[in-house]
Amino acid sequence: MIINHPLLGPRDAAEFVYLGDASLIDRPDWQDKNADEKFYEYGYLRENPAGKHQELWYHEQGDRSWLVLTRDTLTHEITKVEMARDVARARGRSK
Amino acid sequence: MPEFTLISAPPLAGYDQSFDGVTLSAPADLAIVSIALPLGGEAAAENAISAAYGAALPAPGKSVLSKDGKARLVRLSPDAAFVIFTHATPDVEPHVAARLKGDAYTTDQTDVWTGLEIAGPRARTALERICPLDISPQTFVEGDAARTIMEHLGVLIIRTGDDGFLLLSASSSAKSFLHAVETSIHNTA
Amino acid sequence: MTQPNRIEGGQVDRSKEVKFTFNGKNMRGYAGDTLASALLANGQRLVGRSFKYHRPRGILTCGSEEPNALVQLRSGAHQEPNTRATVTELFDGLTATSQNHRGSLEHDLMAVTDLLAPFLSAGFYYKTFMWPKAFWEKLYEPMIRKSAGLGSLSMQDDPDSYDKGFLHCDLLVIGAGPAGLSAALAAGRSGARVILADEDFTPGGRLNAETLEIDGMGGADWAAQALAELAAMDNVRVMTRTTVYGAYDHGIYGALERCTDHLASSDGKPRQILWRIYSKRAVLAAGSTERPIAFGNNDRPGIMLAGAVRAYVNRFGVTPGQQVAVFTNNDDGWRTAADLAAKGVEVTNIIDTRDAPAVCDVPGARHIRNAAVMDTVGRKGLKSVTLTSGQVIPADCLAVSGGWNPNVHLTCHQRGRPEWRDDISAFVPGRDLPVGMAVAGAANGAMTLAAALTEGRDVANAQIKDLGFTASRKTAPKAEDEPRDCAPMWHVGESKNRAWVDQQNDVTVKDIKQSYREGFRSVEHLKRYTTLGMATDQGKTANIPALAIMAECTGKSIPETGTTIFRPPYTPIPLGALGGRARGKDFRPYRLTPSHDWASKNGATFVEVGNWLRAQWYARPGEQGWRDSVDREVVMTRNSVGICDVTTLGKIDIQGKDAADFLNVVYANAFGKLPVGKVRYGLMLREDGICYDDGTTARMGENHFVMTTTTANAVLVFRRMEFVRQCLCPDMDVHLISTTDGWAQFAVAGPNARNLLRKVVDEDHDISNEAFPFMACGEVTVCGGTPARLFRISFSGELAYEIAVPARYGNAMIEVLMKAGEEFDAVPYGTEALGVMRIEKGHAAGNELNGQTTALNLGLGGMVSAKKDCIGKTLAQRPEMNRDDAIRLVGFRPVDRSLKLIAGSHFINQDEEAVMANDQGWMTSVAYSPSLGHSIGLGFIKSGHERMGEIVRAVSPIHDTEMDVEIVSAHFIDPEGERLRA
Repeated sequence: MIINHPLLGPRDAAEFVYLGDASLIDRPDWQDKNADEKFYEYGYLRENPAGKHQELWYHEQGDRSWLVLTRDTLTHEITKVEMARDVARARGRSK
Repeated sequence: MPEFTLISAPPLAGYDQSFDGVTLSAPADLAIVSIALPLGGEAAAENAISAAYGAALPAPGKSVLSKDGKARLVRLSPDAAFVIFTHATPDVEPHVAARLKGDAYTTDQTDVWTGLEIAGPRARTALERICPLDISPQTFVEGDAARTIMEHLGVLIIRTGDDGFLLLSASSSAKSFLHAVETSIHNTA
Repeated sequence: MTQPNRIEGGQVDRSKEVKFTFNGKNMRGYAGDTLASALLANGQRLVGRSFKYHRPRGILTCGSEEPNALVQLRSGAHQEPNTRATVTELFDGLTATSQNHRGSLEHDLMAVTDLLAPFLSAGFYYKTFMWPKAFWEKLYEPMIRKSAGLGSLSMQDDPDSYDKGFLHCDLLVIGAGPAGLSAALAAGRSGARVILADEDFTPGGRLNAETLEIDGMGGADWAAQALAELAAMDNVRVMTRTTVYGAYDHGIYGALERCTDHLASSDGKPRQILWRIYSKRAVLAAGSTERPIAFGNNDRPGIMLAGAVRAYVNRFGVTPGQQVAVFTNNDDGWRTAADLAAKGVEVTNIIDTRDAPAVCDVPGARHIRNAAVMDTVGRKGLKSVTLTSGQVIPADCLAVSGGWNPNVHLTCHQRGRPEWRDDISAFVPGRDLPVGMAVAGAANGAMTLAAALTEGRDVANAQIKDLGFTASRKTAPKAEDEPRDCAPMWHVGESKNRAWVDQQNDVTVKDIKQSYREGFRSVEHLKRYTTLGMATDQGKTANIPALAIMAECTGKSIPETGTTIFRPPYTPIPLGALGGRARGKDFRPYRLTPSHDWASKNGATFVEVGNWLRAQWYARPGEQGWRDSVDREVVMTRNSVGICDVTTLGKIDIQGKDAADFLNVVYANAFGKLPVGKVRYGLMLREDGICYDDGTTARMGENHFVMTTTTANAVLVFRRMEFVRQCLCPDMDVHLISTTDGWAQFAVAGPNARNLLRKVVDEDHDISNEAFPFMACGEVTVCGGTPARLFRISFSGELAYEIAVPARYGNAMIEVLMKAGEEFDAVPYGTEALGVMRIEKGHAAGNELNGQTTALNLGLGGMVSAKKDCIGKTLAQRPEMNRDDAIRLVGFRPVDRSLKLIAGSHFINQDEEAVMANDQGWMTSVAYSPSLGHSIGLGFIKSGHERMGEIVRAVSPIHDTEMDVEIVSAHFIDPEGERLRA
């Protein structure tokens, strides 16, 4: 596969490491009153869609950036590549 | 005089070979210092770099020479860069830190990496066997810099001339990487 | 030696005679021949025995689709089985032998299998060799393997080398036939970067095999001219002998270039190169493959595809027979008759299944309409054919044409399904093509030369326009539309004798019908049940006829019955090429520690730890085995001082205003209050609460930390910390960079460690116990000003330091330490002694941090800070992981001190049976402790911390042993830590 890095352009997927569902960005608050339940869901439950999937890739043999890809798991079509840091901020992970 | 002295022995010290159409050598005394741009202090850091080197920090994937031509600034990612220059001993990080006046974080990377310079009309043909990137003259222009993987090893490749490249790979595996490049030259001869 | 079937013409170079042998027989051909054309020129029709029935077989085709003419090439270690004679370029000195026979090719003792054919139909193995079960592996399978099969391996290491490489282009053109050449010319003229790849050694595809004209010149000449134009373009790379074998995601293609297969010797250069081609767009111009018609005994040597027959005549100047008959269901078969007649080869009859007038005039040939071949005679070579009318026609060669199938293979590699086109009675590429691919020419169903040339140009132009190039205005080359009418006929129903559909796997029409009767009706089941379409040719000539016959059985149309789908590779890829350089010592790169040279010269035995080579122990003369060396290293270190290269531990430089807060997230224990100049042990958890990694982190400045990780997890920990930095805490000012390779780091351990370091560390640095106590760290200089870092940490339990110098000084540093240590009898120690000492001290390592254990299990439960969040904190609090009887890390010693503990033993209480239900825990690490003089172990056992002094049984069913062991403190040595604070 080819991943079109937002800053560096198209790179072979061999330079990247796959992690999984981009929901891993949404780490619960440890002081939430349902923290147990939320961490259980965060840690163990994933969507497994046959179709569009938002997922985390790490450009280990590149600029060390974490990326969020929107990839179709049926066709491998990648429709969006974002810097995970921007996604994390957009999802409210700023301090 | 101290009782003991330490002799410097970088992994590929003194390596310098010519092949048909390619030269391959390990540059002596390469100093590398990483520069990290503080969060929220990027502008100050970039100004400090410009002031220190007389050249603006380029975009990720690019490198530029300092005004005096003695140092190369390589932008690796939005918040990280290398400055590469010639210096005999691996103790130059405080000097770079001082030039940047505390506006950026610096880490010595000199002995983390071992450099190889490959040049000549057959350099690209040889690299074709191990480098997954498109390094054709039109696509990978002079000053372009990219980290990638060659023969299982992370490599920073910088185009330094018409047909010249600086390849930085990890010091501990420098001999394996040299072997990979030499094999590529042999296989394409 | 004469070449009885060599005729005039063709593209072989008659000035270059080439000698070769087949089954030891000396033969001659010319440069430009394939092995197949040269064998035919020499009158060798019989070239092999079939896979299952050992039927005599000849050459069916002239290309990579060949099912029959598989030979063994070369000899000794270079021996290569199952190569197709039809694509093997002839070279001087080539040696080939036939395969799959016992005794000679002419008198194969295994031919008796053919007489047993009534018992050996499809599914025979499945039905017959069922009982007794154990016999399959031990008796049946080896027996079948021996009797049915292809060539044999040399059983020696492959002496050739292979390489890989990466190419980039705007447009990849696959196939250099008329469509491909037309496409490459169009794209090349526009300035796009083009790669044109063709599997043949002479590009041109069918142009080399035909007498058709383009722009008023011979097709082969036009191809040569086109190639010359392409070769002159800097933006075009023409790759011959290169098969594009697979279409992968996002425009990536796999290609195999055969660099030296056409030479007697590789001369030290790679034999083949496996290319990964990154294309922005691709044009598949793979042409088409002729299909046979099945009839009784249609596998005799001398029965060939009609297009192949004329290719041998036109391209190679070889006639496959002296008396040729043509059997066709289409116009194209007539071209063979016409071309042969034009070259003076006797064509006796044209047997056309259609009731239609002659397509063209063929002098001397009789046209038999509405007829078919139903049987043949001539066991080792065709003698005559029998028509459905009963008429017998003498012939030594029968040219058969059942029509042509577009080569859609690569269009299917991303799950695309081909579609049926009635007008050409064939499958053409479907709509779901691999991203960026377009198809042109015969591969796309454009079956005439004129159409192929035009489509090649138009498709290429459309592709490059997409990329922003301006198409050149040159018109497509001109050619005639040759007649291509075809009336499908797949098999001759009147045939009584076996009619072969898949000659490589010996599958007949009857087998397909049987498969249908027994319910294996889908194409996928048909393939698995009969083995049709398997092996080296992957059914290139067999799949479509088989599908048609299955359709006939089911009464459905062909597209309703199914489509065959193809997977990579298009043609076989040697495993050597897939391996590339990754063989032997080059299997993967090595990482060497800075003191590697010194260690090599001082008796070190190395152990691979990840990619690192670490000194395992340093043998001294007279030592009997590794234990002597390791025991000595431990004793000498504990008595005085030892030195160990610990460079391999991961080192991560952490800087930023939020660095301490960041460490609080990644480590279970708190780092905020760690003073500058101090080191702290840190424990990392996984998010599920299981321990992940441990190490020490030193605070070098207010905003500057240096972390060490375990050797094995260095990369993973860095990756995870970047995840936390970018994805979980995106607004922390913290920056990470690895410095693992930058520093040569040595542990200096033992009561004389400080005394030794005092001689090396420059005098202005005070390293006294008061100034530099346990867990202190700082920047120092050594040997007169060389920058260094000093950490007072201990893995061995002794007074110990780790000293780091820039890696280039590493080899010198160990020499200096050894020299300075002479007066203390300093000793270098390896990973084994390191392991012994950490077990003696009760430190957990990989065996204990094994991905199953928690901080509580390790006795480090108190480290998980209650005051802050960290990765793993919440899930570590789950009740099941905090049970009262949770396993705890403790020490063990054998009650009988002379016994050796066994790692992996499970603990069972004294009076209980040794079954899993009674499992109490397991032994993780054992060592002989030279300090104590007996075997010691670490292990996890339920509530271990409350069971000191209890005797349990350590049971190892694998070793069939058990012994009584006593639960003791894990700290066998210096439990109060007096030594390391000394």
